[in-house]
Amino acid sequence: MFNLKIFQNIDRTLMVLIIFLILIGLVTLTSAAQGSIFLLVSQMVNIIIGLVILIFLSNINPKIFIFYAPHLYVFSLLLLISVVFFGFESHGAKRWINLLFFNLQPSEIIKITIPLMLAWLYHRFQNTINYKTHSIAFIILIAPCLMILDQPDLGTAILIFISGFIVIFLAGLSLKFIIYTIFIFIISLPFLWSTLHLYQQNRILNLIDPTLDPLGTGYHSIQSIIAIGSGGFLGRGWSYGGQTQLNFLPETTTDFIFSVFGEEFGFLGVLGIFVLYFLILYRCVDMTQKMQNTFSRLITASLVFTLFSSTFVNIAMVSGVFPIVGAPLPFISYGGTSMVVSLTMIGIIMSLHSNKSLIAN
Amino acid sequence: MDLYKFKYTFKQRLNFIFGLVIFIFSIVLIKFFYLQVIKFDNYSTLAKSNRIKIIAVPAIRGQILDRNGEVLAANKLIYTLEINPKIKVDLNKVKKDLSSIVEIKKYDIKKYKKILKGRNYSSTLPIKANLTNIQVAKFIANQYKFPNILLKQKFSRTYPKEMLGAHFIGYLNRINKKDILRLKKMNQYESYMGLDHIGKTGIEYFYEDRLHGSPGYKKIEVDAKNRIVRTIDVIEPIHGEDIILNIDYNLQKIAEKSFGNYKGAMIALNPSNGAVLAHVSMPSYNPNLFINGIDESNWRRLSDSIHKPLINRVVSGVYPPGSTLKPFVALAALENKIRRPPFSIIDKGFYNMPNQSKTFSDWKKSGHGEVDIVKAIIVSCDTFFYGLGVELGIPKLNNVLKRFGFGKKTKIDLPSEKRGLIASPLWKKRKYNKKWYQGETAITAIGQGYTLATPVQLALATAKLINPDSNIYPRLLKKQNIPIHMKSKKNISEPFVVKKTDLTEVDDLTLIKKAMSLVTKEGGTAAFIGRTTSYNISAKTGTAQVFGLKKNEVYDESILPDKLKDHALFIAFAPSENPKLVIAIVVENGGHGGATAGPIAKKVFDAYLSGSN
Repeated sequence: MFNLKIFQNIDRTLMVLIIFLILIGLVTLTSAAQGSIFLLVSQMVNIIIGLVILIFLSNINPKIFIFYAPHLYVFSLLLLISVVFFGFESHGAKRWINLLFFNLQPSEIIKITIPLMLAWLYHRFQNTINYKTHSIAFIILIAPCLMILDQPDLGTAILIFISGFIVIFLAGLSLKFIIYTIFIFIISLPFLWSTLHLYQQNRILNLIDPTLDPLGTGYHSIQSIIAIGSGGFLGRGWSYGGQTQLNFLPETTTDFIFSVFGEEFGFLGVLGIFVLYFLILYRCVDMTQKMQNTFSRLITASLVFTLFSSTFVNIAMVSGVFPIVGAPLPFISYGGTSMVVSLTMIGIIMSLHSNKSLIAN
Repeated sequence: MDLYKFKYTFKQRLNFIFGLVIFIFSIVLIKFFYLQVIKFDNYSTLAKSNRIKIIAVPAIRGQILDRNGEVLAANKLIYTLEINPKIKVDLNKVKKDLSSIVEIKKYDIKKYKKILKGRNYSSTLPIKANLTNIQVAKFIANQYKFPNILLKQKFSRTYPKEMLGAHFIGYLNRINKKDILRLKKMNQYESYMGLDHIGKTGIEYFYEDRLHGSPGYKKIEVDAKNRIVRTIDVIEPIHGEDIILNIDYNLQKIAEKSFGNYKGAMIALNPSNGAVLAHVSMPSYNPNLFINGIDESNWRRLSDSIHKPLINRVVSGVYPPGSTLKPFVALAALENKIRRPPFSIIDKGFYNMPNQSKTFSDWKKSGHGEVDIVKAIIVSCDTFFYGLGVELGIPKLNNVLKRFGFGKKTKIDLPSEKRGLIASPLWKKRKYNKKWYQGETAITAIGQGYTLATPVQLALATAKLINPDSNIYPRLLKKQNIPIHMKSKKNISEPFVVKKTDLTEVDDLTLIKKAMSLVTKEGGTAAFIGRTTSYNISAKTGTAQVFGLKKNEVYDESILPDKLKDHALFIAFAPSENPKLVIAIVVENGGHGGATAGPIAKKVFDAYLSGSN
């Protein structure tokens, strides 16, 4: 079927790895959903939508991405602003807009448009990159980050900052500047802290130390670690995880799906997933290095590392390395936005890769 | 910045990030290895303790039955409203919220707080017990309004006969700190898992370890909301053993009724094996009041009463035996070869102490005329016994009293038994650091000295007059089937009849018993009860002074307040030829002789002998 024309731009190696990951996700979700057919079917719909978009994007000429990057950025920024006015609240945060048949989370879309916008910027001024270019890049990046932070959604804000910062970093931001900035940030931390409201301070404190709220996020963290630990080397077997099946583990289909996987498939399963991640990462970095223009390189690297940042944050969160921030696991967690955005990123990468000669410098 | 440099920097930094990602992922992988491989046992245990719970399944307490299967203590299903103490609730709010369903009294809240402080096995504690069916229905209909209040169903002890036999049946109450210490010392604490109550007195206390059984366990798997998913393992409880008593409920009922409003005690024994057929202590109380904690007004009423209803007078009441001691004193004389017939005295109504000017008067001012040892018992002649006592001396008298069980516990299967007292010069020296006077020997011989006895001692001593060769103990317990699970080390029930004793030579005894059989005949002190019976009763009446008369003062029952009246005592057995029942009675402030105690005994004899013959 790869003879079909619409599949010609699909990178087979990457696609097989991603499909494999998605299938593992579906198997895990089947157990975590505890017999909810609705969840499984709607996740399959999410996957199909995502794959259709991926195939569509892989056939788009990268020049179109370049052309529309600023438009897309401005559009996503407008969406973000509209959240403030038309968005609705859930779990104490205002992140979503109701679009009748589905709820849109603009901060997820920004994950794509910011790398595009920044890549556009550096591509446009690639011959005169200096501190001015970097300053503009920072403004483009920081504005939406602050808005998301205000929703409040610290996790997503950090992930978006990372995705943007990777572009700026790869574009050659002076190491000295980075070191000084970090230094100054640490110095001014007490001052910044004092400008925050008490509730904001509490929220951050709770993020750092979940035991401050043992019945809330602390409980989640503890149960997740118990689930993973009790999986042992071989796991308790598919659909036999006691922590999962008896509901001690919260949010088994979304944020804590990796704990389900860890409990039921054990360390061997976790190791397998990590190998899969490594192969995906390796393939993507390899593709990046073969790109022939600034825009493609920056976009690809930024999207890849954004995906891996999300993955890392989630896995580190469920295993207790990080505090609980509430981030889905790309390709595996249940959820339309996450799945579609992740596959969109892969679609863009494939387009850039297969059309690498089109926009050579 | 030229393009070449840009490309170079990009490649370098890309590799750097690639390395960084691999590094941080490795750290997470190490964390997974740590959790899943190194700490597996730890988390596996934690996961198990999340979902596996062990619940004690309490054993059902054994019932207490009389010899004919009449239930004296049973278990009934009750409904209680309970609160989980781990959840903070405002008790006043609970009271207000529940007011439409059931009234929570101030006392209930006080009791709840008291329970909260004590030992509690249950996860929830009762705020209100004994709900009526209507209250239960109302609560169920409105349950959604009270997420923190649970309706529970449990077994509660109940005493269907209420006041009847309360003293020997005893009662349960919540386990307190003292009980815990005792149970831990006896290594029995574990067997009280799942139980909140323990026997506090009577048979409930004495046979606690047989009645309570041993708890079972249920291993269950629960989900996050503590709902039971499945039962993994069940160890069934071993339910408590039913205790069958020698008590005859009908006889008990008649005996208690016979007391009327009098205070006092009565015990009826089978002289051949010590079986206790009736056991009365008056006034009584309702043991049901104690089950779920007695309320303050009732407790005050019972504990502060001058009539002391909570005391079991049969085993804890010590009384001067009065003239009921005379048969034993007489036996001591005969054994020591003094005062044997045909020895007699001429009683003029008083006794002169040898070598002293002091005199002791007889209860009959005019005297009894010529009196030998048999007549002395029949008419209860004090004068004869004063002289007998002085002639015999305290040590020889006390030797015989000891053999008949005075001054030591009878080993009846009830708690709080008193030892009574055999007075002696040595005892007086120790107790008061005073010299023993010969006059005290004289009054000891008529049972009015320091010597004290419990009703159960009097009954046992009387039984020993009938069966001098057997060593019997008064026993309430009838059935002796000890289940295998009982690992109790203390052997509560020694066999009733064991070795032969060298109690008394039969000839002397026959004489004493002959005298006792004549007490209920014309001329005897209890002639009035013998007139209307178809069988022969052997008896001895007694009167114990509550306060001493001053010299020249006359005891006049009619002008004395009740509480200063003499205690009436009575020991008896019947039929005289082949005794089937021994009775000992004390009627407090019952007045002269056996006038009040005798008729009670007669009613019990009538009931028992007409029933069993």
